[in-house]
Parts: sequence; C-alpha cells; structure tokens
Amino acid sequence: METTFREESADPRTQSVPLSHLSLELGHLYMEDFAAGAGRLREQFTRVKPWADAARLSVAGAAGARRPRVSTCFLVDDYFTRFSSPAELVPMLLAEAEACGLTIDYLARESGCATADGVEPASLVEGRLVESPPVGSNGSRPAVREIGWLCNGERSPAAGGGEAMSGATAWAAPAETGARRHSVFMDVELWDDGDRGRTWSCPFLAAVWQLLRLGLLRREGRPVLQAVPWGGERGAFPRSWDDLPPLVQLNPSAAPFAAYGTFSVLPSRFLPVEHAVRLVLGQVALEEAVLRQTAERADREGFAVPPAVTDRAAYAFYAEP
Amino acid sequence: MLVFAASDKGGTGRSVTSANIAYRRALGGDDVCYLDFDFGSPTAAAVFDVPGSLRGVETGGLHSYLQGTTVEPHRVDVWAESEHDVLRSRPTGAGQLVLVPGDRSGGEFTTNPATVRRCAELFLRLEEEFDIILVDLSAGRSYAVDMVLEATAREEFDALRVRWLVFHRWTRQHIIAAHGLVFGERGVVAGGVARGHEADRLRSAIRFVRAAVPDPESALFAHVPPPQAAWLRRCDQDLKELAAQLDIGVTKVLGSVPLEPVLQWREQLITDEDALTSRVANVRTRDALKRLAEALSGEKAWEPL
Amino acid sequence: MTGGAGEGPQAFVCGEVRTCLLQTSASLPRAEAVRLLQLRSDEAVRFSERPNMYAVSPEVLTGVDCALPAATGSRVRAVGTVRARAVLTEGRVLQATARLSSPVSGADRRLPWGHYLVRPGVVQPLGRLSVPDVAAGFLGARPAGPDRHAAATVDLGAIAERLLARVLGQPLLDRRAPFKSRRTRLRWFAVHAADGQGPPAAEFTVAADGLRTLWISAAGLDAAEIAGFCEELALHDWLLTTLIRMVDRSRLGSTAGPEAVLALRPAVDHLLHLWMPGARTGARLAPLWDGLERHPGFTRQWQTLVQRIRDQLALQAIPFRCEA
Repeated sequence: METTFREESADPRTQSVPLSHLSLELGHLYMEDFAAGAGRLREQFTRVKPWADAARLSVAGAAGARRPRVSTCFLVDDYFTRFSSPAELVPMLLAEAEACGLTIDYLARESGCATADGVEPASLVEGRLVESPPVGSNGSRPAVREIGWLCNGERSPAAGGGEAMSGATAWAAPAETGARRHSVFMDVELWDDGDRGRTWSCPFLAAVWQLLRLGLLRREGRPVLQAVPWGGERGAFPRSWDDLPPLVQLNPSAAPFAAYGTFSVLPSRFLPVEHAVRLVLGQVALEEAVLRQTAERADREGFAVPPAVTDRAAYAFYAEP
Repeated sequence: MLVFAASDKGGTGRSVTSANIAYRRALGGDDVCYLDFDFGSPTAAAVFDVPGSLRGVETGGLHSYLQGTTVEPHRVDVWAESEHDVLRSRPTGAGQLVLVPGDRSGGEFTTNPATVRRCAELFLRLEEEFDIILVDLSAGRSYAVDMVLEATAREEFDALRVRWLVFHRWTRQHIIAAHGLVFGERGVVAGGVARGHEADRLRSAIRFVRAAVPDPESALFAHVPPPQAAWLRRCDQDLKELAAQLDIGVTKVLGSVPLEPVLQWREQLITDEDALTSRVANVRTRDALKRLAEALSGEKAWEPL
Repeated sequence: MTGGAGEGPQAFVCGEVRTCLLQTSASLPRAEAVRLLQLRSDEAVRFSERPNMYAVSPEVLTGVDCALPAATGSRVRAVGTVRARAVLTEGRVLQATARLSSPVSGADRRLPWGHYLVRPGVVQPLGRLSVPDVAAGFLGARPAGPDRHAAATVDLGAIAERLLARVLGQPLLDRRAPFKSRRTRLRWFAVHAADGQGPPAAEFTVAADGLRTLWISAAGLDAAEIAGFCEELALHDWLLTTLIRMVDRSRLGSTAGPEAVLALRPAVDHLLHLWMPGARTGARLAPLWDGLERHPGFTRQWQTLVQRIRDQLALQAIPFRCEA
C-alpha cells in the first residue's frame, strides 16, 4: 500500500526546454565599454566575428546531417552599475553588430541572473552548490552557505577563508584538490551581505548565466528565465532597464536560446572570471531529471554532449588593443 | 534558563560557586548543563571531580566547537564519570548534570560572526533539553563576555529567560571592580546595549553574588578579641554602604556565600555529606549555596528594579 | 546518469536520524511548516495530510572524501555525496536524516568531482570494502570521548545535526517549547539480502547516551524507502523515550496531588496523538514493524504508559470537580 505522498514525489512534472546545438555569446557590456563609445563596440564585434564563424562551422560538423541550430546572445550589466537606457543602447548595439556581419538573437540583463520574473536564479544555484570535498572531509565542516566562498581545494588554515582560527594553528599552504604535484588554488567570493541585503559576485552571476544558457535550471519543475519576443510591433525600447524583460528575443526567427553547449567570445580580461565560473559549475549538483532529459534528447539527435556540465562551456579570449 | 556567571577578577570563587549552584539544582530535579567558557583556564572538571577531562578534553571541546572544527562539543555526564564518592551515582529524583568542557590545549580566541552564530546555536540547542544552562565565563571583560552578549542579542533569544550572576569578594576593591564590570564604560550593560540589548531588560537580568564573605557573627570569629570583632563589624558596615552607593546593594544581591575554609583550600562541590556527616564544610555554607540555587529561579529575587 | 546507479549495485545504505521537538509553543500549521522546510528555492516542500500531517524538505547534499568506519580498523577511503533532508510530523516533531549508499567497490583513485555530483547520495570506495566490516564499524560503539581517528571517518550525525541547527535557527519559531526533551539519534545500516532469503529482517538496539542502532537486511535495497522507515521508527522511539522521561520526572505514583498531572499535561496536549507506527511504511517493509512490535514491543510499552497517565488524569479529575 503506497501512500499518496509517494505519488506526489514522482518526477514527470519536470518540463523540458527547447534546445539549440550552441549558444554563442557575442559579448558582455560593462559601463566602461559603453563609456568608450560606439567605436569600441565596433572594434569588439570585429574581433568576435571570425571566432563566431569558426564556432558555427565547428558545430555544423558535430551536428552531422542536421541543420545546426545556433543562437546568439549578448549580456548587458545592469546589476553592478546602471548606465544608459535600452532606448539609447539597444539600437546602437544592434547597428554595430549588423555592420560587422553579426546578428544578436537574444539580449539579457545581468540582473536577470539575480532576479527574473519572481524567481531568483542565483539563490536557486546557491542552494545547489555541493563543495568538492578536500581529502579528509567527513561531513563535519561548515558548508559554503555559511561563509560565502567557494574554492577548488583546501584553504590555508592561517587564512581560513572567513573562519578565523586560533593563533595556535600552524600555517600550511593551500592545496588544490586533484592537483598535479603543484596547486593552482582559487578561492571565489560568491556574495557579500550588506545592509541592503545580499550582493552576488560577478563570477557567480556569470556561472548562473552559463547554466541559464545551458537550459539546466528549473524551479519546481518549470523553466527559469523565458525569452520575451521584442519585435518591430512592440515599438521602441523602454527608457528604463527595469521595463525591459530580463531576456528578450530580438530576432523572431532565432533558434532556441538555451543550448547543449555554450561558446563565449570575450576579451581576455574576463579570463579570471570565467576560471571562477568553471570552478562554480564544477560544484553545482543539478536536478537529475533535467540532466537526464538533456542527455536523452542529445542521444536521439546523435549529438555528443559532455557529461560534465563544466565541459559544456567553451571560450575564445581575444586580446584587446 | 540561561545563566551567565561572570566576575571582574579572578579568585572570586565564581567557578566553584556556580558549579555548586549547578549541583544543587540538579539534586533538586532540574536537568542542568554547565558550560566551561573560562577559555584561558578551564577548571570546571576539577570541581566536578571528572578526571578524564581534568584540563579540558583532548579535542572536540568547546574551543573546537566554537571554532567550527567539530559539530557537537563533547559532553561529560557528571553522575557517570565523576570520581567523587557522592557524585558517582545519580541520586533518586535528581536531574541530569552535564559538563561541557573546553579543549585541553585551548586558549582565549578572538571571535567572528561565525563563532557567535555557533555560540547562539549551542545555547538554543541546550535550551531544548536542559532546565538550567550555567555558563562560567572567563574573568573580566573577555572575548567570552562579548561573544555571549552578541549571541544573546539575536532575536531568537527574545523568548528565553537569560540571567547574569556577577561574583565578587567582599572587599573594597572587588566591589568597585564588580560595579565597573557591569556598569562601567566598557561594562556588560554598555557592551550589551551596543550589541542590541535593551538596557532596562539587561540591567534587570543582572544580580550580584558576594563570595567568601566573612561573617563577624559566625563561629569562625567567635574567639577573636573584642576590638578586632568591632573592627570587623565596622568594615562590614563600610562595605555595605559602598555597595549601596555603587548601586549594587541588597536589592541587587542574589545571595552571599560565607568564607569557607574548604573552598579556600580546594575548589570542590559541597555535598550534604561534607556538611552534615563528615563536617569538613560548614552547614552555613551548604545552606547559603542551597538558598542561592533556589533564588536563581525565585520570582521575588528577579523582580524588575 | 541516473542518480542511484553507481558503477555497480548498491551493497548497503546507511544513515543517521536525529529527532527533536520543534521549538514552538504550538504545532506548526501547514503554511509555516512549508516555509520552515524550504531549504532551497527551486524545489517545493512535499506535504501530505493523511494519515497525519507530514512535511519533507528538499534534499541537500554534502561532499565527503574520508575513510568509512570499519570494525577491524582497515581504512577504506570513499568519495561522494551524502544526502540529507528534514521532515516534520504533525508540525511538532522535527527530524533530520543524513544517508549514503555505496557499492562494494569503485575506481582505485578519486575521479573528477562531476562524476560524484551526478550520483547524489552515493559514496564510492576507492578500491574494495567489506560490507560486514563497515556495518560493524558504523553501528559499533565508539569511544566515549572524541578521538582523532573517529573524527576522520564519515560523520553522518554531524551533517544531520547541522541541518537541524539550520532549520531550528529560523526566526519563525517562537522557541517556547511546552516541555524539555532530549534529542535521540538512530544510526542505521541496511544490507542487500539475496533474493529468496525471506522477509526483511531488523535488529534494534538501545545504546547509551541517546544512541539507537538498527541493522536491516532487505532484498532490493530501496534507499528512500528504508530511510523513510528509519525516520518513522526514530519518531516512535523518540516519542516513547520522551514519554518515559516525562512520566519519570513527574514522579507519578510517588507524588500525590495535581503536580504529577500538571507535569504530564504537555504529553496529553502534544504527544499522545502522534503514535501511529507503520503509518508510512510500505508493504515491503511492513514485516519489520511486526518484528519490532514483538521485540522490544514499542506499542505495548506506549499503551501501558498512556493508560497510567489517563488513570491519573481521571483520578485527579474527581477532586477538581468537587472544588468547582
């Protein structure tokens, strides 16, 4: 005699999302880039273009006989600093991209990674962090949620990562778990709590952004961050970022936003941030049902998707002048 | 009920008196937990005669817990582990008597938000189970005092009964020091208010305990020459006036413990056997400790002043 | 990529349940129970009202890389994740369970963390382990004092305890519990029995210091089902332990007059209706309850106590009525 409770717990409610083969990110826009003017944007898109073409070519090979589905996206920071407005910025952005032979299918606001349509993708990911345990972890250590830092090994006891230790503890070097003889130790601040609540860090939001592009987040089985079409009939872009949906679809004939894999073409100053993103992605336990759905679909399509989520994000970093 | 035992100076008999209070309450049927927050010099185990934890436990004590290296601090069941003849088995009708010792090699440590949170969690966890939680704090304005003030300022403690006992000896300097510890610029009240405590509420949760008080009328002084006796009385009277001036007069005193030779020479629990059968301790001392233990939860002694 | 399936079949499942009274004056209504157990924002708290009010938190994972306990002192290192959840029964009794399952052997070195992340609740040994040895080490008495060696083996109790602290630390609890009570710990270990070995078997022991141990042998190990059974057993063991202690402290029989009744009043208000052994146990594990009812005979002892309390209440009601 099974209880009704067990029936409720069954999984089929987990919805799937449409998936492209590749989500191609054409850039992040921060205030300093905007301040440098339209010329800077043109220059960036010019450098991105060959890599974008190469990515399309590469995915066409992997997709085999099928027509490859590639969607492009662009991220604007409206979380750490507020600048300009959609009405002013978006038309300029689209024009510069077009002039370089690029199409932006989707435009996202970075604050959408923190809060989107009443869902908090960042806090959702935080709840799913499972730290990779250094050797000797038996379950009695404090969890990441208590300290707000995530690392790839074992901290130096003297540093303690926010957990001040007594002076009696001898210093020891930090160690990367699974290091090849020498460590590349990294400790990432995920958030800080201030008087006005929690502020998520840039690398953590960037990790959330990757997971959104991979279509791997759900809230109570429903997809998180749905694209809102913004075509010609919607008229002009609003004067405030808050009036723009967190994710808008600018190209009506675009392939789905989320994809099996992501490819981001970024200036090389983003390398430390994206290293931190890899560290976070490697320690997020995603919903089994979602991972299974994606794997099964990829299987049916005959498209190879790496089992580890970290390996689904690829990059090209270009040098800025 | 959460009871903090504090003192400005060492040698006030704070540890031994509060341990005796814990023992008396347990005898009376309460479940009592005694926390050794005297991080610099853990002594509680000696008072309870628990040899295994004499200088704290090897690891896993309060230091380890507060610093996050163990999730549950080690507990000592005094009735089961004490080597004291009388304590060795739990008397009929007695409640639990549990000692939570510090780490053997532990010392004073600085606190941070994480230690304060753990401290608060520990108090709440023990409040679930024990009628009385007695926390023996390091002497003076220590990190331990700051930590518990901060922990108990959290809103989770609003519903709890929290009381402070400030121990001092019956001398001029000790009276002044005790006053300073509570009402001074960097005292418990000021420190508590700075951490979010309500001044009146905190003030009315503090009572003083006079320790090692020589009683001029007691048998101990029966044979002193009359001039000396008169001097003793005069001193006693002066001290009473000083205490009243400093706002730590009778209304704020929970009790006094007479000068007791046994306690001077050896910090120990005074059992009924010590006072009545072997008579190594004075019955008056036993009675004073008993009264003190009762006053801890007596409504009258804690009426807002 | 499915969760439970490691490289081989799971050879054992083990866990620890901590049970305590929710620190509120009255039992928590549904909406608040849901808020209390909402440990993650993306997964709903599961709730059922039949046969009693029962809420389950989403699960949280903790990574471990340490030795498994072993009676012989052989130290097999294992890596993986422990799953933990909190459950609340009738808005009154809170429990946290941490558990793991393990195959008999695994890769001989630690694999990338992603490998373990997709196997929630599975811990894989590096090399080969002996199930009876681990079982004896896990359930066996540990030294009373903490020692360095014990600290190095997987500590499911610590994980459960931290989860309880997290749930109980929330401001929505008023912290005016109607009575003092002690947490209990149930450490359980379930082994896979070969098919055709008959019904599942269990062995329950009460150790000192609030620790109980349970050894289970069942065909077709269903970790979730066994964990649920153990929670239910721990709940009833806690109820019985708590009631025994209350009756003991009320000095029923030696104290005349209303004191004993007053001391027992919270039991009547908050505990007696919670007794429902087997209510959530599926048919497969039901024989385990039957066995435990024969020995040590939970319900028999419970009913005896309840009868004593009711008799006392009835006796006391007589003079009260006269005074009124």
